[in-house]
Amino acid sequence: MTGIFSYALQNLFGKKMLEISSLTKYQGKRTVITDLSFFAQRQECIGLFGEDGAGKTTLLNLIAGLVTPSGGHINIQGFDTQTHPLQARKALGYQLQGGLSHHTMSVKGVLNFMADIRGFSGAEKRSRVDRAAMRLELSRVLNAPIDTLSLGLKRKVAIAQAILHTPSLLLLDEPTEGLATNQLLKFRTLIHSLTEEMTVIIASRHCNELSSICTRAAVIAGGRLMADTPLPDLQRHSRHFRAVTLAAETPLDLLALAVLPGVAGIEEDRHAPGTVTVLAMPGHNIYPAINALIASRGWNITSLNLEPGRLNEVVHHLSQEVSI
Amino acid sequence: MKMLPVIFKRQLTSYACTPGTYLSVAAFLVLCATLGVYTSQWLERDSGNLQAFFQLHPWLYLLLIPTLSTQLWSDERTASLRDVMNTLPITTFERVIGKFLAAWVVCGIALVLTFPTVIVANYLGPADNLVITSQLLASGLLAGSYLSVGCFICALTHRRVVIFLLTLGLLFIASVLSSVLDSLEHQAPIWVIDSLMALNPISRFSTIDNGKLTLHDSLFFISIIFAFLSATTVILNYKNS
Repeated sequence: MTGIFSYALQNLFGKKMLEISSLTKYQGKRTVITDLSFFAQRQECIGLFGEDGAGKTTLLNLIAGLVTPSGGHINIQGFDTQTHPLQARKALGYQLQGGLSHHTMSVKGVLNFMADIRGFSGAEKRSRVDRAAMRLELSRVLNAPIDTLSLGLKRKVAIAQAILHTPSLLLLDEPTEGLATNQLLKFRTLIHSLTEEMTVIIASRHCNELSSICTRAAVIAGGRLMADTPLPDLQRHSRHFRAVTLAAETPLDLLALAVLPGVAGIEEDRHAPGTVTVLAMPGHNIYPAINALIASRGWNITSLNLEPGRLNEVVHHLSQEVSI
Repeated sequence: MKMLPVIFKRQLTSYACTPGTYLSVAAFLVLCATLGVYTSQWLERDSGNLQAFFQLHPWLYLLLIPTLSTQLWSDERTASLRDVMNTLPITTFERVIGKFLAAWVVCGIALVLTFPTVIVANYLGPADNLVITSQLLASGLLAGSYLSVGCFICALTHRRVVIFLLTLGLLFIASVLSSVLDSLEHQAPIWVIDSLMALNPISRFSTIDNGKLTLHDSLFFISIIFAFLSATTVILNYKNS
């Protein structure tokens, strides 16, 4: 009775879409995930960042129920993935890292099959398959066998398959790998629209590409959760937070830049001569001062950027911390 | 069990899309007709039933069943779809039963396609169609039990050649069990021979083949099917965890 009551309470007031408590996973003698606790609310877009082998995919596999945890619990919408696997899986969409492939089925065949398994039929099935295909711009290749598609398209099919049933929790594993810049923009709009409907967790090594999409960042290194903060907070930890990068055709007067108030240091880009990054001291805004200097000296500037902070650098730094 | 029809339909489509299915069913039918006519003097026997044909079935299944079994988990051959399937809200039992039923239906179609022999038997003389029906049923049950063995082996390995050879080997052992038992008759204790004889599918099959469709012989095949399918489910669940 108390169980039912607490369950009803959880449904009424609990806004947590995903709740992970002290999750541990051993593979052989190696610990892949160590005592990880984490939660996700409704309509959040969480970036799961980390370097290669940090345990991002393992964590997603654990959430999706592909791998059984050695200890701890995972609840999706209040359903434990161990005790109520079917209910938990109904609320879940998962795009696996390598995309989706099959030796005979066409894109439409796979999507129809997935819609069947998700319990749709008739007109609703057709409209859901069409909508998912349209959102990922797969309409052109609907009748093509999946095996003949490029890796990028296979990944799109995998995403279409994952969002077909409008899950409450969407897991994406390296969705931006190898995307061109214009595709990246389209992907951002897609994720923005998806976030309005569901909770999205994106695991990626390329955090900078995702900095404008995610609202929260979880950094994982060596199977431990190193940081779980709103994305701007993580950017603030970067050495390049509020740094200004400028490129000019004529040589710049580095000394004049260095003596500006609030400047912490200057970095020259070895690969692109003429490009200089001016670092700011914490709490200082050096952009106006640099602007004024450029105007007074009349430098011929080709690009001038205020950096939001380099996430890759922060993630790398946190990963180094855990290995020490 | 709600997802059973979906898996069943998918597996049947997969069989229909594979040339191997047509080839093995055709080979089964051709061998069934020609061997039945040429190896036994069926036409001279004038028995009114098709025992001469049906007693070949355990051997012909050695060809058909391994080919169908290699197709069973071919969808899951690509790791990506296998993993996606594992994240979907379906139970392993549903998947196993759905796939097994589809393969069994293909066997059933192959059996039904032997109907010209039945027509010929009826044309040539008075045929006991009731016995023929029971023989067909027995053959179907035998195919089901062989398929469940194939299904079990599919759970152990993903390599098609290994599946084919293991199924073939296991079914071959089952087929030659009676001759092995004959040779063991004076060497082994009688209870060993008796219990092995009770487990021999061929002797069960020939009992029904003679026109005696008893409950305990049919139950023998059905229990074999259930035992192997449950073992398949257990192994797959263990592998996934």
